[in-house]
Amino acid sequence: MTKIKNDKNIAATAYNEAAIRNNLAVVEYCRTSMAALSGCTAGLLGLTGLNGAGFYIFAITGLWIMLLLKAGPNWKKYFISRRSLLTNGFFGQLFTYILCWTFLYGMVHVY
Amino acid sequence: MTSDLVVDSQIRGWVFLPIVVITFLVGILRHYISILFISQKKAEPQQLQDSQIIMRSRILRENGKYIPKSSFSSRRQFFNVEEGGYLTQKRAPVNQNMMTDPTMITDMLKGNITNVLPMIIIGGWINWMLSGFITTKVPFPLTLRFKPMLQRGIEQMHLDASWVSSASWYFLNVFGLRSIYTLVLGENNGADQSRHMQEQMSGAAVAMPTDSKVAFKSEWEALELAEHQWALHDIEQLVIQKPM
Amino acid sequence: MPATTIHRLIVTIGFLSLFHAAYSAAQHRSYLRLNELEFTHLPSDIIAQGIISLFVIMYGVMYVAGDFRDIKASADLENKSWESFRNVPSFYTFNHRGKAFSPTYVSITKSALDEAE
Repeated sequence: MTKIKNDKNIAATAYNEAAIRNNLAVVEYCRTSMAALSGCTAGLLGLTGLNGAGFYIFAITGLWIMLLLKAGPNWKKYFISRRSLLTNGFFGQLFTYILCWTFLYGMVHVY
Repeated sequence: MTSDLVVDSQIRGWVFLPIVVITFLVGILRHYISILFISQKKAEPQQLQDSQIIMRSRILRENGKYIPKSSFSSRRQFFNVEEGGYLTQKRAPVNQNMMTDPTMITDMLKGNITNVLPMIIIGGWINWMLSGFITTKVPFPLTLRFKPMLQRGIEQMHLDASWVSSASWYFLNVFGLRSIYTLVLGENNGADQSRHMQEQMSGAAVAMPTDSKVAFKSEWEALELAEHQWALHDIEQLVIQKPM
Repeated sequence: MPATTIHRLIVTIGFLSLFHAAYSAAQHRSYLRLNELEFTHLPSDIIAQGIISLFVIMYGVMYVAGDFRDIKASADLENKSWESFRNVPSFYTFNHRGKAFSPTYVSITKSALDEAE
């Protein structure tokens, strides 16, 4: 058993496909919720224009930090790359964000 | 930011919020109805066998370099030999025509009922009932190009482009609530009608009945062309040299 | 750490807090409008409540979403017992020539098939 492990460390590390997909699904869930919730918050705060875009970046970065905190110091156990965790799907949830932003902004500030 | 327009707050309670709620609930309802209507596709043993055979042949093509040439040839013989090989056998042509197969028609009908009908009915109802209101304002400046997209139903030349009419708000919701459905119902839910529309547009190539004859033919060709390259010819040297 | 009722409770409290902040903001707007004051920014307590409840909800959602799994392929092997270790579905063989030795085996040759037809 130890021999096999040594071999693996020398050569490429084998990854568990299902586990990677599971982790990505968890991250995607968090990212969608974060987009919706931060959109709601941005609308609530009445942010307009570039402030809202800045708040989106702030929220996504905050989520990234929280994910890394959850993963703990040995994040390499769960993710291959730390940076792609931040940048992947950065714009994918933008529409959700804008919808929630518009919704709450309309509810709170327009009327 | 000064809003030059004061909107009656009754609109919020009777137009703006109801559109969101209705769109969302219809999506949820459609999800459960499609679960109710879904028909389990029965797999025939013959088809299963065919797909497994094709998978085996593919595995042989990909990983054949790890077995000796004789083994590779005998396996290929099993698939490809002129008489009695699995891939070369004669099959009665599958006539799974769309019109002759009644289950196909019912499936299509169910798909239409759960997807197109609510869209027409709810969309039409909202257009009839709740159109012509200014509902909300997007919190960022937009150019005039967006006016026809966001202000369907109110043709006002001098209105700022960032105001949204109720009909447009409905369409924004239809397309924007997709990820919320994913959040609430999980992946691959039936609520997503925009995905369905994309499928319809991309053509029916995906839903074509699997004709095993064609698949066998192509697999047979690929396997005939597959060349055996023995990957382990210096494995003894490698194993001896490798530091443990 | 699996999702517990505490995390669901945190999410619920966060949502209530966010909703309260939204309601306060709406109240503030209507107050300004009634007094014909200019809107500059929200009171700082509403802003703080909104942002804090956002992060509270996200903290809860992150645990409700599920746990991370170890992506190393060897992680699964460590939990396996020796008995199940050699159970590899890809190498199952259902069609083996050894079955000809079974006493219940009925040989199906081509001639037998022809006879059946």
